[in-house]
Amino acid sequence: MGRLRVFSERMKGLFAQSRANREFEDELEEHLQLLTDRFVSQGLSPREAASAARRQFGNGALLQQRQREARTFLFLSSLWRDVCFGARMLRKHRGSTVAVVLALALGIGMNACIFTFVNALLLRPLAGFKAPGEMREVWEHSRNANGIHSFMPLTYPDYVFFRDHARSFSGILGYDGDPEGIIWNRSGHGEVLHGQLVSGNAFSVAGVGVAIGRSFTPADDQPNNPQPLVILRNNFWKQKLGGDPGILGKAMMLNGTNYTIIGVAQPGFTGFQVAMAPDFWTTLSMEEQLIHDPGRLTSRNTNWLLTEGRLAAGQSTKSAQAEISLLAREIELAHPDTNKAMDDVLYSFAPVPGPFRGYVTAFTGMLMVVFALVLVIACANAASLLMVKASGRAREMAVRSALGAGRGRLIRQMTVETLLLALIAGCAAVLLSYWTSHLLLNLIPTSLPISIELPLDWRVLVFTFLVALITGVVFGVTPALRGTRVDPAGVIKTEAHSGGYRKSRLRTVIMIGEIAVCALLLFSATLCVRSLLNAGSIDPGFDTQNIAVATLDAGSLGYSDAKIETFYRELDRHIRALPGVVSSSYVNHLPLDASREQTSVIDESLVATLPHGIPVDVFRVEPGYFKTMGISIVGGRDFVQSELDRKSKVIVVNTAMAARLWPGQNPIGKLVKVGDAKEQSEVIGVVKAGNYRSLGEDPIPVLFRVEMPSLRVLVVHTSKDPGALLDAVQRQVQIVDPNMAATQVQTIGSFMSLPMFAARTTGLLLGASGILALVLTWIGLFGVISFAVSERTREIGVRMALGAGRGDVMRLIMRQGLYVTSVGLVIGIGAALASARLLSALLYGIRPDDPATVVIVSAGMAAVAVLACHIPARRAVRVNPVVALRYE
Amino acid sequence: MGDKKSEVLQGTLDLLVLKTLHSMGPLHGFGIARRIEQLSEDVLQLNEGTVYTSLLRLQQQGWIASAWGTSENNRKARYYSITRLGKKQLEVETENWERFAGVVGRVLSQEGQG
Repeated sequence: MGRLRVFSERMKGLFAQSRANREFEDELEEHLQLLTDRFVSQGLSPREAASAARRQFGNGALLQQRQREARTFLFLSSLWRDVCFGARMLRKHRGSTVAVVLALALGIGMNACIFTFVNALLLRPLAGFKAPGEMREVWEHSRNANGIHSFMPLTYPDYVFFRDHARSFSGILGYDGDPEGIIWNRSGHGEVLHGQLVSGNAFSVAGVGVAIGRSFTPADDQPNNPQPLVILRNNFWKQKLGGDPGILGKAMMLNGTNYTIIGVAQPGFTGFQVAMAPDFWTTLSMEEQLIHDPGRLTSRNTNWLLTEGRLAAGQSTKSAQAEISLLAREIELAHPDTNKAMDDVLYSFAPVPGPFRGYVTAFTGMLMVVFALVLVIACANAASLLMVKASGRAREMAVRSALGAGRGRLIRQMTVETLLLALIAGCAAVLLSYWTSHLLLNLIPTSLPISIELPLDWRVLVFTFLVALITGVVFGVTPALRGTRVDPAGVIKTEAHSGGYRKSRLRTVIMIGEIAVCALLLFSATLCVRSLLNAGSIDPGFDTQNIAVATLDAGSLGYSDAKIETFYRELDRHIRALPGVVSSSYVNHLPLDASREQTSVIDESLVATLPHGIPVDVFRVEPGYFKTMGISIVGGRDFVQSELDRKSKVIVVNTAMAARLWPGQNPIGKLVKVGDAKEQSEVIGVVKAGNYRSLGEDPIPVLFRVEMPSLRVLVVHTSKDPGALLDAVQRQVQIVDPNMAATQVQTIGSFMSLPMFAARTTGLLLGASGILALVLTWIGLFGVISFAVSERTREIGVRMALGAGRGDVMRLIMRQGLYVTSVGLVIGIGAALASARLLSALLYGIRPDDPATVVIVSAGMAAVAVLACHIPARRAVRVNPVVALRYE
Repeated sequence: MGDKKSEVLQGTLDLLVLKTLHSMGPLHGFGIARRIEQLSEDVLQLNEGTVYTSLLRLQQQGWIASAWGTSENNRKARYYSITRLGKKQLEVETENWERFAGVVGRVLSQEGQG
């Protein structure tokens, strides 16, 4: 209490200091006067009285000093003076201030930008959850697999078992991890919404409330008595339904079923996982009606539920994990066929699902390292600029020290100045990171139904200013120590530049380090950019120019098979009639998409060598698919419509499958068993292998068959710009059936942005880092060489007076810069080659030690160095020996 | 100086100043120094400047307040007065002091054993 009062009094004392000092001086003056008067009245002479008074009073000056210290925090008050003075100095040296702030802001800002993503994806709890720290994710894990593939969502029966038996959780919620495109029939017109199936307890376990109406209860979610109820996302309700509170109890026709709206979720709640913001939620038991995939609620093979449980009071991750493991063991014993070697693993709750966090961490971690290196360059730059400035201020420091400022005091002054710089840079960095992170967000393909919020919250701010602070210390400490080591007498007496060789040697070392780091970054960046160019020219095995695609699911409206078929035939007829359309067809999913169908094929004549056959990827296509996609048929023929109608047992294989099963033979007419089918299928055609799972992969055996599911991707080949066709495609869908709507209507080019997303983003960011590093290094080199020239003006003058030619002087200056550059380059390229293996996973068609890249980087940096040294060298040549010497 | 004088014990000056203000009402620094000098009958040796250090300490604790007024010879002077909080503190400190003095007195007055 008392201490707090003293503290606040002292804080108050920070202000109005000069007035308090003046008043105290008056008070002492008065006291001394009264004492003196008293001694005079006792008979002393005025002079004796005054000195007796001073004796009795004690040391007045010391008292004043003590009083000043006690009245406030002297450290703080002089700190404030340092800050004011520092700000004045920064204003005075405007040029170097701007250069340093810019360099640091770029360096810090890019790190903050990456951190913004780390924060949004890994650190920030999901909006709307109550006590997110109590939530744990439950993942099925296979002991027989490794890495990301060993983790799976839960099946419905497993989820129910955990939900009903795990005592260490007060509740476990589950939801369908895939966003489902749902057709909303709004007064005769189809509109695509995103819906999510959630367990009846989802809202109550998450602690998410409703703005109006009510949320689900477990009673709403009974598989034997499914209730068509929906809860709307708050923003969807506001934007699409005008925030009408009368909406409760009204019906929505979704995928052919009428649903009753029972509530609107609380504002700010976007969903149970990051980036996905469904427009509405309904219960898991409505699965069959909503997404028409019967059997999911009983299947022990379909892993589709993501789960989040709330720990019961007094439970820890460890105790909960122990219980979950026991329960998983119980399931495994009861269902050895499906749950063999399955255990279940708990993850703490974060926006990105548990098993994927490692990847996000690795990816963002790599980017952090890259931009930390950029920051190192920025720091080196700032440090050398400050050292240049410090030598310019040697005289000021000498005067201050001669007037009694201790070295510590001078260091403090310099440190305050650099921290001030770092602080300004930090503020600029916050703006920069906000801007760049939102720019980066635009890189996410529009075809992905994801939205990431990038809030500028306290974590980002703390991170940014912490980095700024560390940066300030790192780049500020050397110049501060160097700049304050002054010999006042020497400096003031001779006016000569202090330091000389030793100081410039340190600058050289910093510069070499800077160039080395720059070369490292530039090397990685060039590799990535070149690989990106390569990736653009990778032939995925199909046309990536003149195709428009659209996803359709006629089955979602609950149509009969015959009606579905009629719809697709009719649409095909309409599409072909559009101007510019060359051909069109359907496929169940596009190559390089996330979906995949796998099976095994057995050639019974090869049982001896391949008893289990070979695994293949399956695509289901309609006649004309190969022509439309520009896939060349190298043998045999395409399917015909009659085979589609009769669901004939005929297949087309790719060259990779043919080479695997029948090397050197003609595959046409061969018979194979596909999957667990009883009948044999006949190979009628062979097509050229392309990429199916990822770009640049080794050819995978693939077979194509007819027998289409109700969900199909329409592919349209056009002789014109496919982008101009998209609206027409969507219009034709509505003309053929007003209740239908196509999703993901896009050009093949925009579809391809998804498989290339990671490579593109990395390439772009690394490219940016490389350019940034190059620009910073150029500035740094330019600054250091310029300063060296100005420092050597006299020497150059003497040389020229003694007969050195312009060429000699030019060589002298250039040699200094190029020496620094070449040493830095050798170190940097060496480090790059040593670390390039880390990048190899991201590179397409280029070796991590690509010699051409070494040449490009070296040549580029040499050119930059020449450019940076040339201007100061020209200035040196123009030195007039007479002026330079007279200046002495 | 004479050998009868002794240094003011650390911390006791605050108590003396507080008590003086309590019994005499508002005083300026000079007045406080005179009063302590007079009461201690020149036993306590006091660097009068230290009174001000004590005054600042007491003020920061909120035990005394100050206001500008006019001194005996018609000059501007700062007058200090005890606050309500200060009176309470004085009671506590007085009690502490008496207990302490009592203990020291008892210890010093015990008979020698041999």
